[in-house]
Amino acid sequence: MPLVEVQALSKTFETKEGRLFNRVAKKVTALDGVSFTISKGEILGLLGPNGAGKTTMIKMLCTLVQPSSGDAYVNGFSIMKAPGKVRENLGVMLTGERTLYWKLTGKENLEYFAALYHMNREESAKRIEYLLDLVGLKDRADTYVENYSTGMRIRLSFAKALLHDAPVLLFDEPTLGLDPQSSRLIREMILDLRKKGHAILLTTHYMEEADLLSDRVAIIDHGKIIAMAAPSALKQSVKSSDIIEIEARNLQPEIVERLKTFTDIYDAVALFNDSAAHSGVIKIHAEKGKEVLPGILDALVRRDIGVTKVTFIEPTLEDVFIELTGRGLRD
Amino acid sequence: MTDIAGTTKALSAIFMKELKHYTRYPGNLAFLFAIPFLFTFMLSAMGTFVGGSNAAQYFFQRTGTQNFFVYQILGSAIWIMTWVVIEDLGSALRNEQIKGTLEQNFLAPINRFLLLVGVALAHIVISALIFIGVVFATVLVLQPGSLLSLFLAMLTLILGLTPMFGIAFIFSGFVIRFKEPYAFTQIVNMIFAVLAGTYYPVSVLPSWLQIVSRIIPQTYLIEDMRLIILFNKSLVDLYGHFILLGVMALVYPALGYYFFKRFENRAKVTGDLSKF
Ligand SMILES: Nc1ncnc2c1ncn2[C@@H]1O[C@H](COP(=O)(O)OP(=O)(O)O)[C@@H](O)[C@H]1O
Ligand SMILES: [Mg+2]
Repeated sequence: MPLVEVQALSKTFETKEGRLFNRVAKKVTALDGVSFTISKGEILGLLGPNGAGKTTMIKMLCTLVQPSSGDAYVNGFSIMKAPGKVRENLGVMLTGERTLYWKLTGKENLEYFAALYHMNREESAKRIEYLLDLVGLKDRADTYVENYSTGMRIRLSFAKALLHDAPVLLFDEPTLGLDPQSSRLIREMILDLRKKGHAILLTTHYMEEADLLSDRVAIIDHGKIIAMAAPSALKQSVKSSDIIEIEARNLQPEIVERLKTFTDIYDAVALFNDSAAHSGVIKIHAEKGKEVLPGILDALVRRDIGVTKVTFIEPTLEDVFIELTGRGLRD
Repeated sequence: MTDIAGTTKALSAIFMKELKHYTRYPGNLAFLFAIPFLFTFMLSAMGTFVGGSNAAQYFFQRTGTQNFFVYQILGSAIWIMTWVVIEDLGSALRNEQIKGTLEQNFLAPINRFLLLVGVALAHIVISALIFIGVVFATVLVLQPGSLLSLFLAMLTLILGLTPMFGIAFIFSGFVIRFKEPYAFTQIVNMIFAVLAGTYYPVSVLPSWLQIVSRIIPQTYLIEDMRLIILFNKSLVDLYGHFILLGVMALVYPALGYYFFKRFENRAKVTGDLSKF
C-alpha cells in the first residue's frame, strides 16, 4: 500500500478584487483533479513553474487548506476525515525561513515543536541533539534564530520537519534562495531519508534538483499534472528532437515568435538570466538541428542579437516542460 | 506517552513560549504597568478641575468611599487587564500569522483549543502580575488594612477574567479570518470601559444601557473588587455575582471557541492561515 495516495484533488480559491464598492469575485483554480501515489522509500518530485499549484498541493496534504473536491490518504488516513491522524504522520517543511520563532533560540524552537508533537523529554532531547548535529547547527543551538543566516534558518526548519520521524515527509521548495553549500547538504539529507524508508514529496522549480532527487517526477502546470514518470523516461520522450541552446546578449523576447515560424522548429523559448536583464539563452527544439542552425543564426544577426555560444545539448527536464507547454520553467 | 501527559506537556510548552516572548519585549510590560496610574492621575485631575473643592465630598456621597484613588485604580487596572486579555490573544495569533509560525502550530497534531488556552493562560499570568504590581502596591500604600481582602480580590480576578477569554477567542478567529487586529478590539475595549463603570458606578448610565453592562463580565469584576477592597465585603456577600461569573466562565469560552472554529474553517477554505 502506498504511504500517500492522492485522489483527484482540486482547489479553487475565491478572491475579491477591485475597490471597496466595486468588488468582483474572482475564481482561481490552483489545482485541478490531481492524482498520484508515493510509496515507502520513494521520492516524488513535483516540478513546475511559479504559480503552478505546488504549495497548494502541500498545504492541502498537511490539512492547512481545505480541498474543494477529492481526497488524499496519508499512511491510510483521510485528510478530510482524520486530519489529526494525518498531521501525526507528516513531517512538513514549508517554503522559506519564516517558519520559526525568531525570538527563541534554535534549540528552544525544536523543543517547543517537539512538545507539540507529544514527544517526551528524554526522547526529544536525544532527537534534538542528533538533528542539530545533522544540519550543522550544534554550535549555534543557543543563538536566537534572529541572528541566524538564511541558510541556517532553512536548515533548522528542515530539522524541525524531521523532529518526530514521521513516515511521510513533505518539502516545499526546500532549497529556494539557498547558498550552494546548504542546498547540497539538504539534497544529501533528502536522499538519506529516502534510504531510511520515508515517502517523500518534494516540490521544486529547479529542474536539476527534480532530476537529481526524484524517483519519479510529476510535471505540474496550471494546476494539472501533465506528465509523470522517472526522470530518465521523461527525458527519453524528447530524444526525437535536437535541442539547441544559444547564449545571447541583447536578447529580445519577440525573436522566439519569429523562430517558431520555421517549419522544422517545434518549440523556441527565451529564458532570461535573473541578473542581467538582456542576456539569457534561447532554447530551440528542432527536427534536424544542424540543418536549421544557419537560418536561426541569420535571424538572430538581423536583429542585432549577440550570440556568445551555441551548444547542442542532451534533453533536460526543462526540455520536457517546453515540449509539453511551449514555455520555459523559469518565466 | 499518555494522552493527558502529552497534552499537559504541549500546553505548558505553549504557555512558556508565550511568556518568553513577553519577557523578550520588555518595553510592552513597562507600558502596561504605567498606564493604570496615568489614567488615574488624569481622572483625578479632571475630577478636581470640574468638581472644585467639593469634589471629594461629592465623590463620597455618590460612592460611599473617600478613597478616590483606590476606587479609580481598580477600574483602571481591570480595564488594562481585560484589554490585555481581549487584545493580546488575538494579536499574538495575528503576529504568528504574519511571521508564518501560526501554520507551524496548526501543522502539529494538537487541538486548536489547547493552543488558545495555552496562550490565554500566559495572559492570565501577565494580568495577575499587573494586578499585583499596580493594585497591591496602591492598596498597601493607601489602605494597608485591606491586605487580606487582596487575596480574595485575586480569586475574583481569575474567575472574572475567564469569561473574558470567550470574547478573546471570538476576536482571535476574527483576526485570523479578516486580519484586522485592532479595528475590532479597540472598539470593544472602549465600549466595555464605558459600560463596565471603569471610573464611575454603572448606575450613572441610562437604564437601557445598564442592561448591556450586565452581560459584560468586567462590570461585575470592577464592582466586586471595589466591594471587597473598599468595603471589606466577603465571599458570602457576593455569592450571587460569583455564581453569575461562574456560569459566564463556562458559557462564554465555549461560545467563543465555537465562533473561533467557524472563522478558522473559513480560513482553511480561503487559504488565509498564512496570509498577510
Ligand atoms: N490563499 C489563496 N488565495 C487565492 N489564490 C491563491 C491562494 N493561494 C494560492 N493561490 C493561487 O493559486 C495558484 C497556485 O499557487 P501556489 O500553489 O502557491 O503555486 P506554486 O507553489 O506552484 O508557486 C496561484 O495562481 C496563486 O495565485
Ligand atoms: Mg510555492
